[in-house]
Amino acid sequence: MNRTVLIVGLIIVAAIVAILFMGLGNDPAHIDSPLIGSPAPGFALKAVGSDETIDLTRYRGKPVVLNFWATWCRPCWDEHPVLTANAQMAGDRVQYLGVVFQDEESKIRSFLEQRGWAYPTLVDQAGKTAIAYGVGGVPETYFLDKNGIIVAKFAGPMSAEDIEKNLRKAMQ
Amino acid sequence: MTASLGRFLILASVLVSAAGAFIGFAAGQKQSPEGLKWARRFAYAFAALMLLATVVMEYALITHDFSVQYVAQVGSRDVPLWVTIVSLWSSLEGSILFWGFILGIYIAGATRLNIGKHEEYMPYAIGTWLGCGAFFAFLIAGPANPFLTVPNPPLNGPGPNPLLQNHVLMIIHPPMLYLGYVGMTIPFGFAMAALLRKRLGHSFLRPLRASLLLPWIFLTIAIMLGGWWAYEVLGWGGYWAWDPVENASLLPWLTATAALHSAVVMERRGILKGWTVTLVQASFLLTILGTFMTRSGVFNSVHSFTQSSIGPTILVFLAVTLIASVVLLALRIDSLESDGNIESAVSREGMFLVNNLIFVVLTFTVLVGTCFPLIVEAVKGKQMSVGRPYFDAMAVPMGAALLFLIGVGPALPWGRATKREMVRALVPPIGAGVVVAVIGALLGVRNPWTLVTLFFGGYAVHVTLAQMWLPLVQRMKRGGSFGEALVDAQLRRGRRRFGSYIVHAGATIVLVAIAVSSTQRTSQEMTLKRGQTAQAAGYSITFTGIEERAEPHRQSTIAHFNVTKDGKPVTTMDPRMNQYAAMREPIGTPAVHSTILSDLYISIMNIAPDQQSAGFVVINTPMVSWIWIAVLLMGLGGLVALIPHRAVVMSVVAAAPAASAGEAPAATLIRS
Repeated sequence: MNRTVLIVGLIIVAAIVAILFMGLGNDPAHIDSPLIGSPAPGFALKAVGSDETIDLTRYRGKPVVLNFWATWCRPCWDEHPVLTANAQMAGDRVQYLGVVFQDEESKIRSFLEQRGWAYPTLVDQAGKTAIAYGVGGVPETYFLDKNGIIVAKFAGPMSAEDIEKNLRKAMQ
Repeated sequence: MTASLGRFLILASVLVSAAGAFIGFAAGQKQSPEGLKWARRFAYAFAALMLLATVVMEYALITHDFSVQYVAQVGSRDVPLWVTIVSLWSSLEGSILFWGFILGIYIAGATRLNIGKHEEYMPYAIGTWLGCGAFFAFLIAGPANPFLTVPNPPLNGPGPNPLLQNHVLMIIHPPMLYLGYVGMTIPFGFAMAALLRKRLGHSFLRPLRASLLLPWIFLTIAIMLGGWWAYEVLGWGGYWAWDPVENASLLPWLTATAALHSAVVMERRGILKGWTVTLVQASFLLTILGTFMTRSGVFNSVHSFTQSSIGPTILVFLAVTLIASVVLLALRIDSLESDGNIESAVSREGMFLVNNLIFVVLTFTVLVGTCFPLIVEAVKGKQMSVGRPYFDAMAVPMGAALLFLIGVGPALPWGRATKREMVRALVPPIGAGVVVAVIGALLGVRNPWTLVTLFFGGYAVHVTLAQMWLPLVQRMKRGGSFGEALVDAQLRRGRRRFGSYIVHAGATIVLVAIAVSSTQRTSQEMTLKRGQTAQAAGYSITFTGIEERAEPHRQSTIAHFNVTKDGKPVTTMDPRMNQYAAMREPIGTPAVHSTILSDLYISIMNIAPDQQSAGFVVINTPMVSWIWIAVLLMGLGGLVALIPHRAVVMSVVAAAPAASAGEAPAATLIRS
């Protein structure tokens, strides 16, 4: 009997099975964020295409749609025109912000030049902001009310209806 | 009636497999030839029942018997016959039945091929296979039963998943994947038998290796077909996205590849027996983990389109097989090892060890990356994601390292090498590496990793070709033409060696093509009016208009393009959007014009309501088609190595541990 193999093996087995078991029953696309109802973690991030640093507190007083995305994420490509169109329609009433996760600024810039943009896109160095928000994957969007409280979270690419439904909560 | 017959067959297969497993283990324990005979009979009976159940399901699908629940769920009178036939694996319940069918064929085949051979191991192997068979039969009989009845059968059904109907590759990809996945059960059975018998004799290596190589070939091709399908259908111009389901197919492939290599060291040196057995077990267990990943709905994947409630049942099976494997390994691993050793780290076997290390680290990297969201959630209660950059950052250097080993490993002799031998083996291929890297740089490659890959690629191709050439030369020196030498030295005597070098050549091309295609690709988005021409990737692309086409099962919007180069017509390209009744969003099918150098790829982004203008993405990717061809080459190499050869084990090999450093590589052939 090789005790090392047995003990190490069983520990690995127990860990794998426990993690998979805990994952059962979860719908990975719809996770409630523990941050809902709490103030949104603050950040000051550099905007793509300028030297300006944008602080979240600047937008206190109006609802914010905070979209985490990346150019390597295919569903984000589909979501981009939807967000851009909605941001244009909303005008000054709602602030849209893009936060790019694990990506390079040159790639983001060429993506935006090709597809257009309607709101600031920020670079999340080392993914710190994504970690603070508990981002589970991109695209993922947080809806903040005018007081900076997170009222809703959406995982996956959004349709115009998804945006409208969640934004309604942020506008109340 | 059909449903009742199907249910009867499945229930019978549960009983037969469970009884067969019991008899197999009991016969192994008592070493009873009579027991082995009965175990074999039960194995054949299980295969026959699974085959019949599958035939019954196909009959129900073809006759549109909507009283069978699975047919009501995926059948349709409006789809072509071939779609109806392949509907068997279009949804969860049918695909598990298909799994059972393939398992039956594998078990019957492996049992038949080993009649009169390895009788001390076979009862345990059959017992293990039928134990797995019992689980899958239970799954079909219970949680994933396709033969349930519908009280009020509908007149027509929705048809199978539109993704299955959208491209011919989706018809071949799942069966290939199942042949790879399910086939890992056979070497697993052999490995468990070796542990239960407390020995792994030299003669038993052949069935173990061959049974691993066959599913490895299928899995290799299946992974490629999956990537090719993604490339041809998903419209983003890529073929690999590190999606959990893709990773699920890669994980057992990585460990199986490692096991195929460590089996060679085991054969030559008599060492690494426990390690090889562990890798074989891991390959099987990872297929079950992969099934869990795809079927449980736990992982967020773009194409886990069959989420279901069978997750907990598969998890229980995974836990049981994991525990059984670990306990058995702990009990018996010490009795497998022999006293061989590795004389020098800088030798071929040393490189095999490094290769194994890289494959295992790569497996862990992909496994951890795939499971990371679950791990963090379990530990911290919140979610984090591991994106593509993580996988790329880890896999690119390891891919380059593997390519380095494909070059250096076979160049080194077995045993201990002198300095002079090392210089003679390792220095000349550097020239080929430099030439390839310089050509790449002249053609515009600037990415350092791609240049490194090109260098290692050139190096590996030189070594591989030299290793293929050497036995030919030696045979020709002994007399005979080139043709005779080729047949005798490569296809007759050195088939396994020759096959493995074909696989190496294929793998080298795949790795180089992946590096070049992923870093040298250009993409351009454009909006064109009807009749307008744009320049992209050296081509003139004219948008000639939109056509609507109605078929019974789908509505297609097709964009037509004329493609010219330097004023000469090249081709017409017709990307399309297909709208299926069962799906809200249309599915795009890009148009691809492949040449040996690069692929021109057009995908529709949007079409104006008046159909007079449309947005497209035009992508030019070099060397993509090389990946598909080279993977087929790998499969072919695997087949060449697999085909049995009657001129059994040459004495040189039987005396493997005595192989000395001074031997020329051709004299150290591993023959089967």
